Amino acid sequence: MAMKSKEYYAEIESVYKKPEDYELAGKGNAYVRIDAEAKVTGKAIYTADVDLPGMYYCKLVHSPYAHANILSIDFTEALKVPGVKGVLTGKDFPEGHNLGNPEAFKELADKEPLCRKKVRMIGDEVAAVCATTEEAAEEAAALVKVEYEVLPPVLDPFDAMDPDAPAIHYPNAGDGTASNLSIFTVMSAGDPDKAFAEAYYTDKHHYKTQEMVHAAIEPHGAVAKYENGEWTVWSTTQGAYVSRYWIAWGLGVPESQVRLIKPMVGGGFGGKLDVFAHELCPCKFAQRTGHPVKCILDRDEVFMCTRTRHPISFEIEAAVSKEGKLLAKRCKHILDGGAYGGSGIAANTLSLICATFPYKVENLDMIARRPYTNHPASGAMRGYSACQVHFAHEIHMDEIANDLGIDPLEIRRLNEITPYYTGPTGLEFTSCKFDECLVACADAIDWEHRDKYPVGSGEAVGLSGSGFMSGTGFPVLVTPHYCSSSTVVRLNREGYAVVFSGANDIGQGCDTVMTMIVAEELGLRMDEVKLVQSDTTTTPWDAGSFGSRVTFLGGNACRRAVGDAKLKLLKHWAEEWGCKPQDIKMKDHRVFIEGDAEKNISYNEACYGYEEKNFGRCVAGVGSFAHEGDKDVYVKNVGNYATAYSFSASAAKVKVDMETGQVELEDFVFGHDCGRPLNIRAVEGQIEGSVLLGFGFSCFEECVYDKEGHHMNPSFRDYRFPTALDMPKIKTIVCSEFDPEGPMGAKEAGEGSTAPVGSAIGNAVNYATGLTLRELPITPERLWRALKEHEKTGKTSFGAEDLETKFDNMPPLPKRY
Amino acid sequence: MKRIINFKLNGEDVEELVMDNMTMLDFLRKQMHLTGTKKGCGEGECGACTILLDGAAIDSCLMLAAEADGHEVITIEGVQQNGVLHPVQQEFIDKWALQCGFCTPGMIMSALSLLHENPNPTEQEIRDGIAGNLCRCTGYAKIVEAIDAAAKILQKEA
Repeated sequence: MAMKSKEYYAEIESVYKKPEDYELAGKGNAYVRIDAEAKVTGKAIYTADVDLPGMYYCKLVHSPYAHANILSIDFTEALKVPGVKGVLTGKDFPEGHNLGNPEAFKELADKEPLCRKKVRMIGDEVAAVCATTEEAAEEAAALVKVEYEVLPPVLDPFDAMDPDAPAIHYPNAGDGTASNLSIFTVMSAGDPDKAFAEAYYTDKHHYKTQEMVHAAIEPHGAVAKYENGEWTVWSTTQGAYVSRYWIAWGLGVPESQVRLIKPMVGGGFGGKLDVFAHELCPCKFAQRTGHPVKCILDRDEVFMCTRTRHPISFEIEAAVSKEGKLLAKRCKHILDGGAYGGSGIAANTLSLICATFPYKVENLDMIARRPYTNHPASGAMRGYSACQVHFAHEIHMDEIANDLGIDPLEIRRLNEITPYYTGPTGLEFTSCKFDECLVACADAIDWEHRDKYPVGSGEAVGLSGSGFMSGTGFPVLVTPHYCSSSTVVRLNREGYAVVFSGANDIGQGCDTVMTMIVAEELGLRMDEVKLVQSDTTTTPWDAGSFGSRVTFLGGNACRRAVGDAKLKLLKHWAEEWGCKPQDIKMKDHRVFIEGDAEKNISYNEACYGYEEKNFGRCVAGVGSFAHEGDKDVYVKNVGNYATAYSFSASAAKVKVDMETGQVELEDFVFGHDCGRPLNIRAVEGQIEGSVLLGFGFSCFEECVYDKEGHHMNPSFRDYRFPTALDMPKIKTIVCSEFDPEGPMGAKEAGEGSTAPVGSAIGNAVNYATGLTLRELPITPERLWRALKEHEKTGKTSFGAEDLETKFDNMPPLPKRY
Repeated sequence: MKRIINFKLNGEDVEELVMDNMTMLDFLRKQMHLTGTKKGCGEGECGACTILLDGAAIDSCLMLAAEADGHEVITIEGVQQNGVLHPVQQEFIDKWALQCGFCTPGMIMSALSLLHENPNPTEQEIRDGIAGNLCRCTGYAKIVEAIDAAAKILQKEA
């Protein structure tokens, strides 16, 4: 059997600082963000702030149709605009160099840099214009005449699967099987049929979640220059190496000729993982004109042309014992993939993996399909698939509990995952404080006395739980790269250290965490550790900021790198001092044996001594971390997806205005098991932001389309998310336990924490109104309509009413292509 | 058409030739290279471009540069005085009231305007004061905390 990385790094890990000696990690707010001063003074440089002499500007031309063939493109009028320097169409990029995620199947690289013959969504990029000013580029882009042959749009994922549906990408099989599938996944375990046949209780319900967007306040954009046969690109990316890979591929040049620098990124949330036309077109123009070229998207372009969260339609059946034990689940998840694959491919498998926890269910029969439609492409988004899945499955959990007359808290505790449990599809859990999270939330919201809010009284509390992968093992976009994170650390005898980290900070604070880890291990102050970050020429490989992998994988990589350097240094001094490297401590800029005044030197002297003995060679360390999983997980659907898993619980107290349908979130409690928190303020910040996203998901946000597929609300005015006035006070309870796999015992805190929010609010609203709402978002209008209909007809269940027929009439799956 | 405008920018008198139709936001970012003021939407919805015009918070994307003529403008670059951070800036750092930082300059300008008008705001008044500044990262909790802490420090100093 191949050597495991734990063995490979065992000697390095032997000189790690012991938890009882930590001075920075986990000591509350012992340090501040390294980027904070630059950000509060306006000095932080984001992509749009990169300003180069002689810079030109690029604007894109978008399709006004959801589905159409391109007949011709006429630039005559556009070229007459003063200052225009060039135009591009799909033909300017090498044919067949499509963008996407071909990890499972090569057809999944499905996006042309600019569309050649066909557009598949409103906003699809068909041409680009370059000019000396942004205004001229905009004027010229508006004058580009594109002639289209309009095709019928396919906007419903169930319609898209119809064997006779118009083909969005690839021709239909013609054998009566489902069409337009970008990917489908089947996952099973145990004997679900037997469990359903024998169960005391079974049910079947349908749920639906909506399309939402990331809405990072920084719009997407890129700046490119071309010098000495090499491109340098500054981009709003969540993964410098991933973007570089696809930019090089899209241009048809070797990766060695593209340097990608990630400046400060103004939020990503999954929306800045894919590579886009706004990155490739400036590169092409920079080469053609010899000038640097900038392309920054307008807000409506960000809404319409980047990525969205998958809307998912659910059919969930459960088999449960009389006592409330979950025996089996049958699930069908239909994900509206929109026009392209990209970072959205992984959502399909993930939606099933998420459904297998945080509860133990040994018998599973699950299927997920991701049809293409002519909606904007769905992609990765914070709490990837987990937000939707834990909404549906956690509302369902309360329905089971109420049908069986069991306390919803108790049914969760009865089924919850316990530490070091291995799931039926191969997920290997490590530390788990899920029970503590549930109980802490219930206590804080006064669950015990929830009867003081009678059902239907307009006030109630609701509870939910969830889990998430901590440090995903699998790439969402890159192939054939290993999904690792790598770091190099150099110790300088002048009294500092330099970290070269591939991890991509997009605002979450990983730059601070990496700096802290190195400072902690070397006994330096944080300002004595210099961070070089996310630049494909100066920093080592990292797969990107997604899948809650950054602190976990990047942090471990960083610790192994500093450990490697530390081991070299300490081995040298152990030989000098006649002791073991593990006997030597590094603290307060000193290298010493405790209690021995003779063997106590400064960090500078220690580095200098090493260099003197080694012919001037500096002390440097290299480290990497990756989850050692099976890379065929997308095809096989069994195995362990991540090195560890985080767990969360939420409790919401809501007040519903029964006249207007307005939901007020009065109180919110979040219990999170993130292992050992490395900085409590950072963890709280992630959780508070998660609650905003989850509250938006449950009660505010939805992309609305007309029947031609036009986005009706592509602005912050019409697509509303919570403001400071909408947000409640949030109580964060960290239920921590040192995780053996995490960096300094930590697990993820940024993504899984979004997952239980929507269902806690949804369950609370259901008790407050006495209704069962199975579809998001619970906007005032939707809730008002439900309350009025309930008054008139006595109907109690609302939402997803169309799904039963749709699921019953789904065509069979095609053979695996 | 172009015109010459004279106004005070971050404490300095400036004279600039500006296009009539140029927004204050574009003028600051492109002509004055003051990129601390951010463009999040360009339509007055997100507040990332907030500046102070004669002490009051305003979306610079909804204002023409020409309108600054004869007035006083402060941007995020003018908040720090003599190398010393303003208490609002310091509290944003100490309370971890920022993540990606893109909304932060606008958020700080709104906070300054609020504290100028109301030196002792309640939590609700703070939330009201930044209701026009969207933040997607923080859930606003630590921002409210930082502004409250800064108000208390400024009151002590006063």
